[in-house]
Amino acid sequence: MGRSSKDKRDIYYRLAKEEGWRARSVSRAVDLCAAPGSWSQVLSRKLRGKDKSEEVKIVAVDLQAMAPLPGVTQIQGDITKISTAQEIIRHFEGQSADLVVCDGAPDVTGLHDVDEYIQAQLLLAALNITTHVLKPGGNFVAKIFRGKDVTLLYSQLKIFFSSVTCAKPRSSRNSSIEAFVVCQNYSPPEGYVPNMSNPLLDHSYDVDFNQLEGPNRIIVPFLACGDLSAFDSDRTYPLQLDSSKEYKYLPPTQPPIRPPYQQACQLRKNNLLAKEDSPSGPLDDALSTLDLNTSPDTNTTTPGTSD
Amino acid sequence: MASPVESVVKKIAVLVAPVTALEFLGEDFLLTGEGPILSVYSLQASAKECASLNVLHNYRIHGIRPGRKYQSGERQFNNVISSEISVWDNDEEEVIVFGGKGVRLVSFNSAGQCLKLIGPLLELQDWVLDIHWLKAQPHPLLGIALAHNALLLLEAESGNILSFYSCVETCLLYSALMIGQNWDSLVLVGGTVFNQLVLWRPTGTKPDGQSQVERRLLGHSGVIFSLCYLQKSGWLASASDDRSIRLWSVGTLGGDAGCGEETPTCLRVLYGHQARVFCVKLTPSRVFSAGEDGACLLWEWGGEGKVGCTFRGHRSGGVRALAVSEGSVGCREGWLATGGADGGVRMWRVAEERKDSEETQSETQLDLAFKGQGCPKVVRLVDEDESNTVLVCTDQGEVCLSHGDTWDVIWQGGAEFQSYCVMEITSIQVQNSNCIVWVCAVGNLNGGVQVFLVRQPGVGVLLKAGQGKVHSVLWVKGQSGESWNWCLLASGSEGLVYRWTIKVMEDESGLHMKEETLLPFLLPPCAKRWLTAAVTLSQKKGLYLCGDRRGSLLLYAERERNDRRIEEEERRMDLHGQETEDRQTHLEGPMSPISTLYGVHGKQGVTSVCEYQDLCYSTGRDGSVRILTVEENVLKVRRVQRSCRGMEWLEKVLFLGSDAPQGKKLNERTEKRKIDLESESVAEARFVMVGFHSVHFVIWDPHRQEKLLSVACGGGHRSWAYKCPIHTHTDPHAHAIGHGTLVFIKHGAVMASRSLASTETDVNGHTLKEGLHGRGISCVCHLGSMTKTGELSELWEIFVTGGEDTTVGVLAVNPQSGTVKVLAVLTDHISNVRALAAIRRVETNERGRDDWTNTSLLSSLVFSAGGRAQLQCYRLLIRLDEQQGQPICQVTQIAGHRLDEQWERKRNRHKTVKMDPETRYMSMAVVHNGTEYILALACSDGAVRLFSVTESNRSVDMLWECFFHQRCVLSVATYKLEDSQGRELLLLFSATTDGCISVWDLTAVLNSKAGVSWQGPSAPFFSIPVHQSGVNTLTLAPQREMGQMEENIISLASGGDDGQLSLLSIKIDQKEQENGGMSLQLLSQWSVPLAHSSPLTGLCLLRPTLLVSSSPDQRLCLWRVNSDGLHPLKVLFSHIADAAGLWAWFGVGQEGGAWVVVCGQGLQLFQLTEREMDEPNVTVNRRAKEEERKKVIFSHRVSRT
Repeated sequence: MGRSSKDKRDIYYRLAKEEGWRARSVSRAVDLCAAPGSWSQVLSRKLRGKDKSEEVKIVAVDLQAMAPLPGVTQIQGDITKISTAQEIIRHFEGQSADLVVCDGAPDVTGLHDVDEYIQAQLLLAALNITTHVLKPGGNFVAKIFRGKDVTLLYSQLKIFFSSVTCAKPRSSRNSSIEAFVVCQNYSPPEGYVPNMSNPLLDHSYDVDFNQLEGPNRIIVPFLACGDLSAFDSDRTYPLQLDSSKEYKYLPPTQPPIRPPYQQACQLRKNNLLAKEDSPSGPLDDALSTLDLNTSPDTNTTTPGTSD
Repeated sequence: MASPVESVVKKIAVLVAPVTALEFLGEDFLLTGEGPILSVYSLQASAKECASLNVLHNYRIHGIRPGRKYQSGERQFNNVISSEISVWDNDEEEVIVFGGKGVRLVSFNSAGQCLKLIGPLLELQDWVLDIHWLKAQPHPLLGIALAHNALLLLEAESGNILSFYSCVETCLLYSALMIGQNWDSLVLVGGTVFNQLVLWRPTGTKPDGQSQVERRLLGHSGVIFSLCYLQKSGWLASASDDRSIRLWSVGTLGGDAGCGEETPTCLRVLYGHQARVFCVKLTPSRVFSAGEDGACLLWEWGGEGKVGCTFRGHRSGGVRALAVSEGSVGCREGWLATGGADGGVRMWRVAEERKDSEETQSETQLDLAFKGQGCPKVVRLVDEDESNTVLVCTDQGEVCLSHGDTWDVIWQGGAEFQSYCVMEITSIQVQNSNCIVWVCAVGNLNGGVQVFLVRQPGVGVLLKAGQGKVHSVLWVKGQSGESWNWCLLASGSEGLVYRWTIKVMEDESGLHMKEETLLPFLLPPCAKRWLTAAVTLSQKKGLYLCGDRRGSLLLYAERERNDRRIEEEERRMDLHGQETEDRQTHLEGPMSPISTLYGVHGKQGVTSVCEYQDLCYSTGRDGSVRILTVEENVLKVRRVQRSCRGMEWLEKVLFLGSDAPQGKKLNERTEKRKIDLESESVAEARFVMVGFHSVHFVIWDPHRQEKLLSVACGGGHRSWAYKCPIHTHTDPHAHAIGHGTLVFIKHGAVMASRSLASTETDVNGHTLKEGLHGRGISCVCHLGSMTKTGELSELWEIFVTGGEDTTVGVLAVNPQSGTVKVLAVLTDHISNVRALAAIRRVETNERGRDDWTNTSLLSSLVFSAGGRAQLQCYRLLIRLDEQQGQPICQVTQIAGHRLDEQWERKRNRHKTVKMDPETRYMSMAVVHNGTEYILALACSDGAVRLFSVTESNRSVDMLWECFFHQRCVLSVATYKLEDSQGRELLLLFSATTDGCISVWDLTAVLNSKAGVSWQGPSAPFFSIPVHQSGVNTLTLAPQREMGQMEENIISLASGGDDGQLSLLSIKIDQKEQENGGMSLQLLSQWSVPLAHSSPLTGLCLLRPTLLVSSSPDQRLCLWRVNSDGLHPLKVLFSHIADAAGLWAWFGVGQEGGAWVVVCGQGLQLFQLTEREMDEPNVTVNRRAKEEERKKVIFSHRVSRT
């Protein structure tokens, strides 16, 4: 066992050193909009896996209740509420967090301007609560849509963090506009007082530094992260990846929790949607006969999915 | 119209984007919002666009609120619908338009029909969800609902803030609605991100400026997209992500009533949409809703939520906007307008209340109360003097005719015709008379065919079609000289088709029928050997096109005329007596087809054949229409048109604007034919497909991808007759054809879809603007520009587009008028169309020379590729129609190919899991090489593949595949060059998800004959990492600036997912060694790492020194290439979200300049002047830009360092 054996084993560990992280682990982390909890799982695994001596505290916040995750404290709450921020601080025993992550995404409408705006508001809400719980020098990672007004978000984040990068893991498909903004070294402007009574509103274009039409735009460096030798998210693989292992279909680990379309799909399955050429039945009766608390319909197609 | 602001507003040449806002101005005008553009359509007489203006710059219009001059009246033009109807007079109308954070006041002069901007664009700090005109003195004010659950009071023209209130719950709203006439009594209904409806008032505000929620409506399980309030009844409607509409009784809102009832109740939950519901509107007796499923539903108040009507008029992507005119609020007829994600705008007539309100839905299908003996088997319509009677043949061998409410037995076949019979009718012109009579032919089990007059059943003949079962009887109408003759075909046993000509004559004793036996046809041997369809061809005399039950199309030639010639010849050469005898007996026997397309329509058979304007059309139960030509007595398929998914049983095609009297058109047609045959370009007519879709009888418009009629008749295997509406040939709109009446047999009863006498149309819609794909357009390809006489006003730019809706569209765009015309929709792909390529074909003109200069004719070979590794190739011939001055397109299908074709043919495939990857073709490049075309394809399974397509024998062959990359290949480009010895070299560039660009030497493929023994390279000869992640786009151009023609220097530009733009300068050398090979020298590599803030998806080198790039960040960037690198030249905002493709070219004519088209969620055409391409961003208009926009600041939390 040499000194570099760990480097060989863990590429992300090596990269973390190369990228100048002080330690692979940070002790206090907050996962905003955590459901179904995958990021908390990863945080728990990454932070705890290495150094048993260090105390690790992870708080996951979401409006919905989640299935319990070992080593993760869950808070069911609204990230726009000051009470939620206070509760996070309470779990850290008055200490601020080292890292805040937010992987939340809204229900998309299909109209890009609306979707991008709502995603931006989610990020700003996350940023607003972050200003209450993050320690100076801490880091913030959140999902962004790289759409028409992303430069406005960048300019806003640059006020609070000395380093802002746009990162895209190789596991994220090439064509998706989804990416992650990695904000390092939290350093709010002097005299900035965190305030949650009003929402943080986004910036607008100006004629000098961040132009709508013009060469001056605030675009942050892009970093493609992840291993090139790993599976390519854009490539189509045959189902039989390994000749020794036979392909077996596995259901999704966590199907959508009560998706909005659940009842409509149940009705459609039972041919109960109102139609022009069907005599109308009392829908309420039909509804009452359906047990909506049975397992969610996982076969239903969500709109707009096609390859 | 000339406003000072307008001069700096960038002129958008053409834009097609989702229609996100609609509003009526009385019954006369419709306002539409498409991207930032406000358009007005006049609804008088022929509806047309009368004015259009870019009002919101970089914001998309989400709402239009007319009505400032109604301040004196009680009428409010918001989503709050009051019962009063105001008469809209012709005057100046002020309209507030909003979307995103932008708000703008516009005036519309209905007399001059023009739009004018008033004041600057107001830019708020938050997203606007609703705007409400408020009564105030001296100027009206605007109440603005913001997305963070706040209200703003604003002076309309100046944009000064008077008041700002927010709710304690500062959560995000997806929708909002203001109710009330004064600021003091205003109520806000908000649809929150938490699926709730909250009601609050600014007057309920506490000193800290925040109001409490006064009512909360719970029940939706998804966010709320749209709200509407009906003052009269106190009802509120909400449309949600959970696919339902909820109706709430909230009582009177606003004014003294405050937030209405203490405990609002939910009256109805309406589930009927197949996907999310985006819009809802209320009228006193109805609810209108529309959504992602593309349907607009009309819900009747009666019953517990019953769908009264479904309006479908948009291609994929759904309905994004909905408006109901005032007329439909009262008792009169009104309009319903729907705006689609496809950019289309449709209008529908809605009558408020049916006169006979007892009429229920189940009774709209009329039982014609058939009372004859036995069970009806065949039903036909007899069309006499504009009135229709129904003719029915029963299994008791009786033929009955409807007569008012009674049925008369007109003919009884007796025992011979019992238990089995087939029937067909036709109208025949009486000899030496202009009189038309209806003739009926009935065939039985023993070869008997009875022919008789419908009105005089005693007049007739009994014919014998062999001994066995008569499988079918068919009438065909042929032309002999100047008159018509009718031929009866009866398909007997053993594939024999007996034929007679039937004549009806009149003399003093009345009508007589006379038959003349013709030689029978012989069908090719197969199990189900009978005839199902036949037609005579007018263009070539004596030719019959037939279809059989085996799915084959057969061409027969009448022998008489030819025989006489042959016989004469034979008489001359009387030497070979024996042979002549053989020949003679052969001539007496049945005739075999002279051309056969065996089984083309699949095993379920051909259902119809017809001829229309010199082209033949066949339908079959394989769900396809085949468009056929007869060239030198050989049948050829020009194109296959599939119907919609699941509609496998096609019965026939109907032509739009058909049914004009044939005789009148005869001369006209012969003349036209002459012209057409010269240019070999008989254009296809617009047709609709008639068939069965599960239990429905459906009329499908393949051009619009829309159902025009759907009748629940029970499905196929039934006899039917369809009466086209009378006005079909006068109405230019396709949907008119769907307003006819279907007569069919169901459960032993004769049914009609509605009264046969009825001519009115309850759903009478028309198209204000045609939509495109609806879902994203993945790729666009410019085919060429066409001008009629070189006039630029008559300029048409021709494009091909491929979309996520799996179709390929051919578009003609007139930049001057902004007209976008869909020339063809090709539906052969089964998955996304991701790549397109085209090669201009050289048409030889009359003088036998290559004709490049003809600007009114364009011929191209178009290749499309996409998901499920599918490849299609078409030949397009586009020419300007002389009369209409519009381009028309003729499509010939050349070939199609799929990698997994074997899989599709595999039996029981639904039981097994498909193990091979479902490869997507990501990008394509094409090279012309002699008689073949070489296609290079980037494949998602990690391969680069090469195909050869030959136009003449319509073949696609794979030449080479190489899995060198082992990653998804995202783009390919090819380059053909000549070396110093004049030999041709071929380079292939491929780029992958790891950011590398590789160069392959494919020269060998050019010289190898059909690639027989060619192995192809196993690795590229050069590879370079350029980007951090995937390379989305590649473009290249030769550098010939210095006139060094002998040096092969190429500029290769690439755009990546990392937002970087790179430009490589490459020098290609042929190696000196014997065995050739190439070497590559990288002269320079320049990069702009942050060229775009999102992935670069479109790139084009307009010239070696000028690059154009596009990206989902909605910017179109121009870059200048100097000897020292890349320099930004211009950044333009684009209204196309999710930009996926780009094409740029230099324009025709003296004006010069260039054009750029960007596709994504729509299509936008930009015109670039020479000046824009030369100078960097001009700073002179900076002040103008500042004046043009005014920031409205109400929150000072937006900190900036």
